Amino acid sequence: MARPPQIVAFGGGGFSMESGNPLLDDYVLAVTGVERPRVCFVPTASGDADHYVVRFYRAFAPGRCDPSHLSLFRRDRGGGGLGADPAEHLLAQDLIYVGGGSVVSLLGTWRAHGLHEVLAEAWRRGVVLCGLSAGSLCWFAEAVTAFHGPPRRIDGLGLLPYSNCVHYDGDPARRDEYRHFVTGGMRGGFAADDAAALHFVGTDLHRVVASRPGPRGWRVGVHAGELVEEPLDALDLAAPAVALAAA
Amino acid sequence: MPRTIVAMGGGGFTMEPDTPALDDFVLTLAERREPRILFLPTASGDPREQIARFHATFDDRPCEPSVLSVFRLTDLRRPLREIVLSQDIVYVGGGSMRNLLALWRLHQLDAMLVEAWARGIVLAGLSAGAMCWFEGGVTTSFGPPEPTTGLGLLPGSLSVHADGEPARRPVFLRAVADGTLPAGYLVNDGVGLVFRDTALRQAVSSRPQARALRVERVDGGVVETPVLPQYLPCAAREHRPTPFDILEFRRAHLGASRRE
Repeated sequence: MARPPQIVAFGGGGFSMESGNPLLDDYVLAVTGVERPRVCFVPTASGDADHYVVRFYRAFAPGRCDPSHLSLFRRDRGGGGLGADPAEHLLAQDLIYVGGGSVVSLLGTWRAHGLHEVLAEAWRRGVVLCGLSAGSLCWFAEAVTAFHGPPRRIDGLGLLPYSNCVHYDGDPARRDEYRHFVTGGMRGGFAADDAAALHFVGTDLHRVVASRPGPRGWRVGVHAGELVEEPLDALDLAAPAVALAAA
Repeated sequence: MPRTIVAMGGGGFTMEPDTPALDDFVLTLAERREPRILFLPTASGDPREQIARFHATFDDRPCEPSVLSVFRLTDLRRPLREIVLSQDIVYVGGGSMRNLLALWRLHQLDAMLVEAWARGIVLAGLSAGAMCWFEGGVTTSFGPPEPTTGLGLLPGSLSVHADGEPARRPVFLRAVADGTLPAGYLVNDGVGLVFRDTALRQAVSSRPQARALRVERVDGGVVETPVLPQYLPCAAREHRPTPFDILEFRRAHLGASRRE
């Protein structure tokens, strides 16, 4: 059965940011539709930080998935215990989880290893792609990064033909700059608060989910020369009804 | 100002933290008595552990150490170029040469380092951080060793860890023999080659038996000529730690500029 391309873009959250709240991570595992999904963590944006990899394995224990990670800085030592060909490994996954950090360094390193093409192929084949922060921005055509000082525009992989902004509630300077960029000609797009995630099926927004009540997604665009910021209510994954439905 | 590059086949604080001979030697190459030394751990993804080792080695030596992480540029208070060009020494760590060069290009650090070199700032490094200055080298960035291209500040090629990672050696010799790589040097762990402008001026070593080879292509094969490094005496081990009050003074006085 052909699986549709899917991306779950976190504004922030998951094991990297919400210690003790696994709901967004549980959600992406469930999206794969596989009982024990193969999950590969890609920590490139952090420079493959050891402590980050350790935290991934703690959160994605082998009991509920088949976890692995890909290191692009240590390929001479097996690159995280994978075979010689990361493409083959990535294409065999159910979920590719991209960690946070520097999106500029992330994209530059991916290009140096040809990974941008592999990830696009994985997406087309129905491997679920997800991530937070830099791991969200990277999937979009354009994005705002504030990782290198003042917020600035960057081009992402362009799998989703929109712009993206993360940590929308947590970083007012970034939010203002994103509005400013969109008003000034950057393509319209989607933003997400911390703990909220935008779930795309194909290139359409399917739903917004959140790991607690409150956080939302935002559709941001320009209409008749005016900036329009439309709040998108999130499905609260912490609500009892949702927990029951999942069980 | 002479242009200076120190290319280490391996060694220094990241590989032999108990043998500071090469690192102390690098400090002597700067003209300033307490040189400003900037560490670039880019090729390893700026790991905390390497940064901690750099500080453990250089914080109590007569120098002003600082670290530049391209994964954490958000902490910068000055433009990147200004930081690089205000140094006396730039020390580049090992790791993935492929990632190193890609990340430098992304942040225009490659051009800044060429400018630094032209201004007489000493460029030092080991492994990927040594090969990057040459026209080419042998990298394991993709797993198995293979020839790759560097920045080309120095003519010729360099292959590192000749003793520690012997799988590189045949790949290097074959690449020089068939012309994939220009003539160059095959260097053991613990050996540093010092280039003034583009000529080899001196070879030094932290290990008594460490060797380097000059490898040239002749009639489709290679000719190997040994380069005997000067063994650096272990006087470095008798290094006296900087007194605590001086350290405290430096922290208070230089704190702001060091936190870059």
